[in-house]
Amino acid sequence: MSKKINLTLKVWRQPDNRTSGRFEVYPAQDIDTDMSFLEMLDVVNDELEKEGKDPIAFDHDCREGICGMCGCVINGQAHGPDAATTVCQLHMRRFQDGMTLVIEPWRAKAFPIIKDLAVDRSAFDRVISAGGYISVRTGAAPDAHAVPVPKDSADQAMDAAACIGCGACVAACPNASAMLFVSAKVSQLALLPQGQPERDQRVVSMVSQMDSEGFGNCSNHYECEASCPKEISIKNIARMNRELTRAGVRS
Amino acid sequence: MASSNRTLLQSSIVRKQIVAVTGLAMVGFLIAHLSGNFLIFAGPEAFNGYSKKLHDLGPILWVLRIGLIAALLGHVVLAIKLTGENHAARGGRYAVSNSRGDGGFCKKTMIYTGILILVFVALHLYDFTYRDKTGDPTIVEGVNGGLSLGLFGLVWNSFLQPWHSGLYILAMIILGFHLSHGIQSLFQSIGFFHDRYTPMVKKIGFALAILLAVGFISIPIYVNVVRTPHL
Ligand code: FES
Repeated sequence: MSKKINLTLKVWRQPDNRTSGRFEVYPAQDIDTDMSFLEMLDVVNDELEKEGKDPIAFDHDCREGICGMCGCVINGQAHGPDAATTVCQLHMRRFQDGMTLVIEPWRAKAFPIIKDLAVDRSAFDRVISAGGYISVRTGAAPDAHAVPVPKDSADQAMDAAACIGCGACVAACPNASAMLFVSAKVSQLALLPQGQPERDQRVVSMVSQMDSEGFGNCSNHYECEASCPKEISIKNIARMNRELTRAGVRS
Repeated sequence: MASSNRTLLQSSIVRKQIVAVTGLAMVGFLIAHLSGNFLIFAGPEAFNGYSKKLHDLGPILWVLRIGLIAALLGHVVLAIKLTGENHAARGGRYAVSNSRGDGGFCKKTMIYTGILILVFVALHLYDFTYRDKTGDPTIVEGVNGGLSLGLFGLVWNSFLQPWHSGLYILAMIILGFHLSHGIQSLFQSIGFFHDRYTPMVKKIGFALAILLAVGFISIPIYVNVVRTPHL
């Protein structure tokens, strides 16, 4: 049953990457508990606009947990308190009346702040451009049974491919490391026959792009896995570590 | 090709793997070291005999020592560099941070426990490797007719000093913290992950960390309980 709650928001406001930011306090009144977190922000923004203030900038697109655009840190947790949930799927019934929510953007050197809660994640795109693809001629799709794939590999590749690239792993990692993201992208191709021809070059290029973007190193805290809305396993990180050694030995 | 090997060696992953492998080598050393140390329970003859046998290895001992020093230096230098990079990568700090993993005091303090262990290693080498093993400090009062008990005597007398035992025990507890994350973590870094065996590796790694720490700590405790060694 839905009810109305009142919250206090402490939101990070920052006009752009060159200006330093600070927290502003806003009331969130009469919030329907059936709303999503982003709908709550919409309501707060409506109020801000009515008062002639600048609305809070935040990224979003699908609002159903599949596009990977949304994301912010709520009370110290990437995508908020629920496991396996993006912030667009997070419901306000998760919070109690009278709570104060501290809302911050992903903080990482490799993700410069665009405005308020919106960060520039194009570092991820550059990692993908470095090798997160297969080079094949396009044409008619091959028959599904033309290339046999063991069930276990198909399952694991599918699990890795669930990554939506939201950046919560980087945000949650004490080192702002992108290892979970990059390893998911390396794994989904390394596990499948189509990924084999470029397998060694791919991992070397993607890791070197990841490093040059200024992400940190993995120190096996596993905050990433715990924060991932798609429950990507750190097993993929171990696989990428292995893939890189393999590529090094074979080079 | 040479250039691609250079980039590989500079990669965050390979540098971490070097930290992992050198760490593993040092764990191997600790197991051997503790096994040797346990001879202290068997008395001065057995303990000093073991020490003499090691020294008689001559050049082989030096190869092992240089290997160990290289592993230690590689481990420390790379770990410090990686930690520095990690701090830089964080960018701004969160006003609120709320771990949803297992929090992990040991994980977060690896660099600090590591540095403390390094300080301990330096003091420890001065204490028991560098110092003279024939003089007054090696004579245990009222035992062996006032004659030197060699390295055994040196260790025994040192541990009879409460501050010395206390610091040693503290250092071993810190070592236990470091290893309790380190041992299981190094397998992930070198790429070992298995649905069935990884939980086992974690448990064994944790148990080994505790066993090593408790094993080393048992020695000063034994010395202080027995006080006069049986010859
Ligand atoms: S808006 Fe698309 S995942 Fe949240």
